[in-house]
Amino acid sequence: MSSSDSPVRDEPAAAATEDPDATGADLVIPGQERDSWLRRLTDSTALIFIALLALVTVFAVLAPGAFPSVPNIRNIFIAAASLLVISVGMTFVIISAGIDLSVGSVLVFSSVVAVKAMTAVGNEGWGVSLIGIGVALLAGLLWGLINGFLIAKAGIPPLIVTLGTLGAALGFAQIITGGINLRGVPPQLTQVLGYGRIFGIPWLVVVAAFVTAWGIIALRFTRFGRYTYAVGSNPEAARRAGINVDRHLLKIYAIVGLLSGLAGVMSLARFSNTNIAGHTTDNLQSIAAVVIGGTSLFGGIGTVFGTVVGVFIPTVLQNGFVILRVQPFWQEVAVGVVLIAAVYVDQLKRRARERL
Amino acid sequence: MSQLTLKRTSGMRPVVMAALLALLLTACGGGGGDAAESEAASGGASEAAGGSEAAGGGGDYDIVLIPGVIGDEFYVSMECGARAAADEAGASLDVQGADTFDPTAQTPVLEAVIASQPDAILIAPTDRTAMQAPIQQAVDAGITVALVDTTLEDPSVAVAAVASDNVEGGRMAGDALAELMNEEGAALVINVNPGISTTDQRQEGFEEAIAQYENIEYLGTEFSNNEPAQAAQIVDATLSANPGLNGIFGTNLFSAEGAATGVRNAGPEGEDISIVGFDAGPAQVDQLESGQVQALIAQKPEEIGTQGVEQAIAALNGEEPEAEITTGFEVITQDNLEEPEMQEALYKSQC
Repeated sequence: MSSSDSPVRDEPAAAATEDPDATGADLVIPGQERDSWLRRLTDSTALIFIALLALVTVFAVLAPGAFPSVPNIRNIFIAAASLLVISVGMTFVIISAGIDLSVGSVLVFSSVVAVKAMTAVGNEGWGVSLIGIGVALLAGLLWGLINGFLIAKAGIPPLIVTLGTLGAALGFAQIITGGINLRGVPPQLTQVLGYGRIFGIPWLVVVAAFVTAWGIIALRFTRFGRYTYAVGSNPEAARRAGINVDRHLLKIYAIVGLLSGLAGVMSLARFSNTNIAGHTTDNLQSIAAVVIGGTSLFGGIGTVFGTVVGVFIPTVLQNGFVILRVQPFWQEVAVGVVLIAAVYVDQLKRRARERL
Repeated sequence: MSQLTLKRTSGMRPVVMAALLALLLTACGGGGGDAAESEAASGGASEAAGGSEAAGGGGDYDIVLIPGVIGDEFYVSMECGARAAADEAGASLDVQGADTFDPTAQTPVLEAVIASQPDAILIAPTDRTAMQAPIQQAVDAGITVALVDTTLEDPSVAVAAVASDNVEGGRMAGDALAELMNEEGAALVINVNPGISTTDQRQEGFEEAIAQYENIEYLGTEFSNNEPAQAAQIVDATLSANPGLNGIFGTNLFSAEGAATGVRNAGPEGEDISIVGFDAGPAQVDQLESGQVQALIAQKPEEIGTQGVEQAIAALNGEEPEAEITTGFEVITQDNLEEPEMQEALYKSQC
């Protein structure tokens, strides 16, 4: 009775056939559904994790003095940190079968208002820095709530809403600044968050690690995470099961907005300017990272750990290719190939699941 | 069910293996295109990891050029000049860069280049303050750094800074435009983004020159974000607000390109507008030939590249490099375009 209630996607059959230790008995025992469900997720992310390990090994072998060196590893992590923070939020969004194209613009807007606020109160000292951080987070949260409200309450498709806020947020940022980059943040922010380390680990990486840890725990062990999967799998069933889908979507988009604001702070700390003209491909990069990590664009499936791997694959690719002095355009080709391969693998698994 | 099992696993593994193989081949193939260079890079990397620099005595140096952006004819011409100087000295030259003129994109590339331990880096910083710390990292790692084209807030970290005298270039543009405008009317500057040392200096030089002409009203500077489309929009908007506009100075390749497009879009109202552009890429030469743009201030990017490499190698050899080198300009018009000297000054799209 309980097995007929669960959506088709939760069929553990796919995991059973890939896992040579599984038996046909896994198919019908309701109590073991969750175990096999987790195992199936682990399978798809395990594959891509192995791909990342292979990539790292190949580069370490081809450039033994350069690639595996401590400064280079540290730089890879720093380069990945900002994108990872956004992509953790994007994971929740895509699992809920939505999408958020506005992340780059919200990042820019948040950094602009943060610099304006900090400059207005002296641009010096920790108090001012904290004000700037708070303003950036608030700005990101606000845009996230706007997105969430329009998607959940007004019922407009996420692609359209976030396409609109992508333009609006960037437009407001340009209005506020007159199109000219704002420079100058409190030295405390750049020296500690931007370039400082704790126990040898850059603060930027620590922040990203905390966000990732929160994401993993929230998605896997909390009701919030389970509701996210449910809403992404089958919103109508979730609604009828008693989940307030509208409020949940609002929360999800608010979170990714907040994280975009945080990424704005990280960018300010590192580069000391608002970089209005940049961040145009942040949205596509984070979507690609989430998808490469095994999350399905159709919703209901995905993990934050997969996203971590998905963020590192293009970062490692670029870093390794530059070290090996490969022509820059090949790097773009390679990332494209990996993305398509990852989506193809996901499609094969979905078709396999649905066949049963 | 066992048949389905076979289908599923056989479907996925080849795809993943193929993808990994493709990546591997790309890595080797791309590196293999300059096989000697990549071997030297990895060999040099493991040697340099010990902390020793390549011994002096000239030649066999590993130099990397990091332009502001990939695919821009100005930087391609610079690469040609750099490559010529490197070949003559027996050094190897690689080019690595980002596809946007953006410090956020240039920094990871610079950091990865640092990790590959070249002997010298020639870099065009995309922002005078944001790139200061990353370039300092290169210097701290024992790499000789030369600045080409754009510069830093504190250029003393580099052994040499080679650039056009952009203030002088701006002045030349101002005088050339004033002449085209018959020394009366209204002039507009389309700049790129504040904070880029080169274009800021060109604007400065232009303003200095144009202030000398009493009958020319200076309408100010607008920023195009290095987007031709945005430059075109700025022209259209300014023309609507100021029908007396008859002179535009585009401070770089894309700004001038966009300005010409904007003027063309304006149709009959745009007919009397003269445009002076900076840089002589193929698209701009076309515009010059067709009469949309009246004059181009061409830099000498090849010479910048050559000088950058020469100074870097001098520093590596233990000689005293020339800390600051300025290169000159040519003013190219429809009249003198065919002269061999002017043809030489045009930017290349490949070496």
